[in-house]
Amino acid sequence: MAPRSREGHIMFLLIVGLMGWFVPGGGHLALNEKKHAIVIFAAIALTFATGLYIGSIGIINPVGAKPWYIAQLMNSPAVAFLGQLTRTGDYPVYGRPGEIGQIYTSIAGLLNLLCIVNAVYWAHLRGTGAAGE
Amino acid sequence: MSMIAAFVMATFTTPENIGVTPQSMLWLLPLVAAISVVYKTTKLPKIRFAHLLKESIILFGSIVVFMAITALVLVAFAWLVTE
Repeated sequence: MAPRSREGHIMFLLIVGLMGWFVPGGGHLALNEKKHAIVIFAAIALTFATGLYIGSIGIINPVGAKPWYIAQLMNSPAVAFLGQLTRTGDYPVYGRPGEIGQIYTSIAGLLNLLCIVNAVYWAHLRGTGAAGE
Repeated sequence: MSMIAAFVMATFTTPENIGVTPQSMLWLLPLVAAISVVYKTTKLPKIRFAHLLKESIILFGSIVVFMAITALVLVAFAWLVTE
């Protein structure tokens, strides 16, 4: 593979990062790491869905729980759509289900952030020829 | 089909009934499992099912044991303070 220019390399890192954000595991898929992508997608999607199941979509609260919402947003931009649905306050959730649901969905988002950083790092190593493969 | 879709939608629009009980702490186990699997996936250069499973189980056990020890220390500390 021909080496990329500096701009091309930065653009590639940006695309890998964005793909990882749009769909969990997408960044690894862009690097042709299909097994990594499948495991990451399954684990993060299941954790996020479990959180939504426990606490309902009301746990995505861009008004009253902004720090949690930012972590939840790391799962995918689609979370912003759910945030628009719940912004009206039509899905109230309190107590332990709310806590557990928020923790599950936010941890899923932070795990996806870890995977995005990991995918971008691998892409950088491959771009600079530093990956030991 | 619309009945199934409505049922699925309903499960995600009403929260589950989980009380503030010691048993509710068990909800941390699936979360720790997910953290272990994702973390090990980012660390392993090649994914082989058996290897990933083994590494994830070791990390899962380490986290759970460490959390149990931390909980015991905190309980002992609280007991000493309040006694």
